[in-house]
Amino acid sequence: MTAFLSVRDLSVRFATEDGVVRAVDGLSFDVERGRTLGIVGESGSGKSVTNLSVLGLHDRRTTEIEGRILLDGQDLTTAPESVLEKLRGNRMAMIFQDSLTALSPYYTVGRQIAEPFRKHTGASRREARLRAVEMLEKVGIPNAALRVDDYPHQFSGGMRQRAMIAMALVCDPELLIADEPTTALDVTVQAQILDLLKDLQQQTGSAIVLITHDLGVVAGTADDVLVMYAGRAVERGTAREVLRSPRHPYTWGLLGSMARLTSPVDEPLTPIPGSPPSLLDPPPGCPFHPRCAYVARVGGDRCRTERPELPEGRGAACHLPDGAGKGRTR
Amino acid sequence: MSPTSRFRKDRARLTTVALAAGAVVLSACSSGGGGGGDGGKSQGPGEDKTTSANYSIGTKADSTGPAPEVPGAKKGGTVGVLQRDAFNHLDPGQIYYIDVLTNQLLYNRTLTSYKIDDKGRVKVVGDLATDAGTASDGGKTWTFTLKDGLKFEDGSPITAKDVRWGIERLYASYQSDGPLYIPQWLSGDGNDFRKALPDGPYDGKHLPPSVLDTPDDKTIVFHFRQPHADAPFATAMPNVAPVKAEKDTKQKYDNAPFSSGPYKVGDYKVGKSLTLVRNEHWDAKTDPIRHQYADKFDISFGHQYADSTRRFLADQGSDKNTLSFSNAVAPEMTEKVLNQPDTKARRLLEVQPYVDYISFNTDRLKDVRVRKALALAMPNGQILQQNGGATAGVIATNFLSPAMDGYRPSDPFGKKAKPAGDPEKAKELLKEAGKLGQEIVYAYANTDVQQKVSVVVTQALERAGFKVQKKEVDSNTWRTAIADVKNKFDIYRTSWGADWPVSSTVVPPLYDGRQIADGAQNYGHLDNPEVNADIDRITAIPDVKRAAPEWQKLADRILTDDVPGVPVFYNRQFSLWGSGLGGIKYHPVYGSVDPTGVYVK
Amino acid sequence: MLRFLARRTLGALVIILLISAITFFLFFALPSEPALMSCGKNCTADSLAVINKNLGLDRPVPVQYWHYMAGIFTGRDFSAGHCPAPCFGYSFANQQPVWDTIVDRFPTTLSIALGGATVFLVVGVGVGMLAAAFRGTWIDKLFSSLALLGNALQIYFVGVVALAVLVSGLHWMDNPAYYPITEDPVKWFTGMLIPWLVLSVIFIASYSRMTRSLMIEQLSEDHVRTARAKGLGRSAVFFRYAWRGALAPIVTIFGIDLGSLFSGAIITEFTFSLHGLGRLAVSSVTGTDLPMLMAVMLVGCTAIVLANIVVDAAYALIDPRVRLA
Repeated sequence: MTAFLSVRDLSVRFATEDGVVRAVDGLSFDVERGRTLGIVGESGSGKSVTNLSVLGLHDRRTTEIEGRILLDGQDLTTAPESVLEKLRGNRMAMIFQDSLTALSPYYTVGRQIAEPFRKHTGASRREARLRAVEMLEKVGIPNAALRVDDYPHQFSGGMRQRAMIAMALVCDPELLIADEPTTALDVTVQAQILDLLKDLQQQTGSAIVLITHDLGVVAGTADDVLVMYAGRAVERGTAREVLRSPRHPYTWGLLGSMARLTSPVDEPLTPIPGSPPSLLDPPPGCPFHPRCAYVARVGGDRCRTERPELPEGRGAACHLPDGAGKGRTR
Repeated sequence: MSPTSRFRKDRARLTTVALAAGAVVLSACSSGGGGGGDGGKSQGPGEDKTTSANYSIGTKADSTGPAPEVPGAKKGGTVGVLQRDAFNHLDPGQIYYIDVLTNQLLYNRTLTSYKIDDKGRVKVVGDLATDAGTASDGGKTWTFTLKDGLKFEDGSPITAKDVRWGIERLYASYQSDGPLYIPQWLSGDGNDFRKALPDGPYDGKHLPPSVLDTPDDKTIVFHFRQPHADAPFATAMPNVAPVKAEKDTKQKYDNAPFSSGPYKVGDYKVGKSLTLVRNEHWDAKTDPIRHQYADKFDISFGHQYADSTRRFLADQGSDKNTLSFSNAVAPEMTEKVLNQPDTKARRLLEVQPYVDYISFNTDRLKDVRVRKALALAMPNGQILQQNGGATAGVIATNFLSPAMDGYRPSDPFGKKAKPAGDPEKAKELLKEAGKLGQEIVYAYANTDVQQKVSVVVTQALERAGFKVQKKEVDSNTWRTAIADVKNKFDIYRTSWGADWPVSSTVVPPLYDGRQIADGAQNYGHLDNPEVNADIDRITAIPDVKRAAPEWQKLADRILTDDVPGVPVFYNRQFSLWGSGLGGIKYHPVYGSVDPTGVYVK
Repeated sequence: MLRFLARRTLGALVIILLISAITFFLFFALPSEPALMSCGKNCTADSLAVINKNLGLDRPVPVQYWHYMAGIFTGRDFSAGHCPAPCFGYSFANQQPVWDTIVDRFPTTLSIALGGATVFLVVGVGVGMLAAAFRGTWIDKLFSSLALLGNALQIYFVGVVALAVLVSGLHWMDNPAYYPITEDPVKWFTGMLIPWLVLSVIFIASYSRMTRSLMIEQLSEDHVRTARAKGLGRSAVFFRYAWRGALAPIVTIFGIDLGSLFSGAIITEFTFSLHGLGRLAVSSVTGTDLPMLMAVMLVGCTAIVLANIVVDAAYALIDPRVRLA
């Protein structure tokens, strides 16, 4: 039996003015019901593109998708738009990063929450409105019955993000994709939102894909972690495994650049030197090698010429022998 | 008629164009607009029937109505009239320009008027009067007798008192736009005449019988301060007309003049349209000039030349019964009109009594050889080309228009043979005078046409050995600038139109040294005692027909010996109308389409 | 909202007053001699002085300005009689009461503006939306090239061609003319049709291009993507979300265009021999007709300023961020 969401050999390419960008290259992952997968990577690593293509929200005129995306066994890559429309906002929903731009400024919060409910359940205007109030209460908006008629700009950032969650969950979706749901928020609100997501998952048992560049977010929320770099998965494992004993030098770097509450304040952050490669013209061999401090340890030209594969299950796409990075273990 | 009318045209066009930022439609709205494409042709398609108009004073028989029937004429129908500019006046007292002069023929009868036959010959005849007037006291006193049966539009009789009222109201200060010959001849030059009757007749005062007398209801007697042999022409101006005192609403009379002619004002939307309808009280038997064939005239304003020409060319629907008093054929459509055979029978191309000159400031250019060299070098042909070419005018060879009585085609500077000027001969003259490289300050208005003209003039003068300093003058202040006696310019464009076809309205105002004044018309500032004396001599000739050749002789002498300027071209009217109209003729005195005999076929 | 309108109206009045003063004083600062227009032939300094006195031009300019502005509210007495409020004086050019002339011309301008605006708004925006919906297809390319062509055309050119073809050539229509809608709605419509279509050509081009790019921009907005993520259908996303976002800028531009059309469409009026405020503006400038010029300026400014207020109000209705800020 396959997982609820199963992505196999997904490649996403899109045409730009400068050439073809390989945004995602040969990506595979699974998410089970009731579990949370954290997808981690810097911006431009392909994590958002991946999830937009799951919902079929990519630009069809410029984007080419290969591989399979199976939702409860149904291949979404070949499904017609009419089928996708029925799934979106219903069985699969998405929470976007910037709630200010992701909500329409022209309609009330209540209307925007009620809209997919009416569309997918055929509920009346009144029923949908009641449902919107209910959802706003559920995500912790005080005075929900009044605030339901407010416009997004009348909400604070945290409230807006709650409203967006309410909107995504209004049809009890079985798959929820949260794309950097807390990035725009301050730290205390961040924690509240993540707690809320966890609570709601416990009530509904939905599968969650949590996209973030912040391993700290993953640490408290995700069950499994997938680390992406330059459109490829470079490490996979449970959250515990990846955070406790990361195997890929890139993950080490991410962990190193993570500000932790437990760190002494005077310890400087150690970001990864260099910047992600251009996906127009990715480097040969291991895409991380231009920034990797361990190329010499592998020896020879191997990192520059040979592409390391990510094994099934727990593992990393790296030529370093397992355990070579033990020194980084925390 | 006057330099102001031409000036008004240029100025209106300039600002309009500036406003509409180069809209072709607008720049095409003047006869002097774009440069017609006739190449170097100096002679037009040669349709002038009336180049040597034959003028005479008509007899009592000529003055008796009704006017001779127009062959084939029918009664009924509506004549459409398309005009570019809205009429500025209907009040006959204020009328001076070509369009309103023509229009008033339909509703305003004057003491005398012009009777034009089908060959274009013009007779001055009695209109309200039984004849063209009788002179006595050496030409200082003129007596007119009114016909029987003359009526206003309400059926009330027209008497000598009504004519007197019409003249006396010209003394009121609001009457500023019309010609003022009669009041000035009666009471004083310039604005002085107004002192004789400061508020006109409105507060019950009248001119004394020693000045203007109406011994009975049929007789009116003018006692001029000097002899005026051409009084019958002056009494043909529109403001020597009857105005009924009770109907005189002063300024408001401009909207509702009380008709004495075959038509009366039906509906007038100022600035937009005017409908003239039949005046049932007009009696054809009293009128030697006008007919009343059409039921009405629908006159509408705001038709650019391109619009009226397009409608006449298409000749469709109600446009078939449409004419224009003064809209010319749009320059860009000239070729099309000339090449479309069916227009042959419904167009006219005639010389107007307007002449364009370049005046030479004799106060500054004192050496007559320099002025002669300028006259020789002037490229008349190219200047005309910039003004619209052959359909806009004919190259001028002397000061007087072919539309004047007694015109003779003299050509002292050889302009017919050398329309582009004679730079070699001019250079020789300059050399002889030791003035090679003479600097010429050339002023011109900043209008589209004059800017183009300035280019060809400058080139021609420099080829002849002058050094030209161009001075562009804002068109709003142009006239004031050149009419300033102390102006600092050497040469500038001027123009003149005779008010009647006798050269007493041309030579004295333009070349009499005693008339030099700010705002006056002697732009060359010529003050030659011999010329002045000759003007007096000819003015005193009691017979205008005998005076006519004398004026021409004097004008030629001034041009040859004094050279206070050079004539450039005689203006032409190029008109087209719809095929549904008949009885249209040219009015050589006004230079427009005469509507008095028009009928709908 | 009421306070907002009150504030804007007050500001508008100040602007109109300023412009009126500038117009008035500029008229006297620039070279012009209104008296020359009614000074006939042998126009001497004497006769000019007489006319200047008649026109009231012999008084100090600020006094003249005060009389003019006061007359609008209180009426004025002239030698020709009393001129009741709103009195904009008598035209220098034809001695008509200026206000009567404005009242007479305005319906023509209103007809040109409203009819033309309806055509170009509906067609322009419609075409733009179609092009955006079918972006990159032959429909889009066809409309885009037509828009480019339309943009390159000029009213006087299109106007002359339209007249030559539709009226003179094929005789499908009569010469354009204005008939009051109250007298004959059918004639009003047929008489104005060609001016409307011709006036629209240029606007259609720019409105379709504007609408297309606004729609494309809106379609890439985050909230439009959210709408799709909610499972809304293509047309709901297009009209409910993207169109709503494109509406505000279109309304803004439209308000400004309409405002300036209300102050007269000069080229259209000249091309089709119509008598609206545009022609009046031109003739008052060329005729140095100050009272008329002032009135036309004031009416034009009022129209533009009013249009701006209406746009702002409409903006508030469209965008709750403005309304509830």
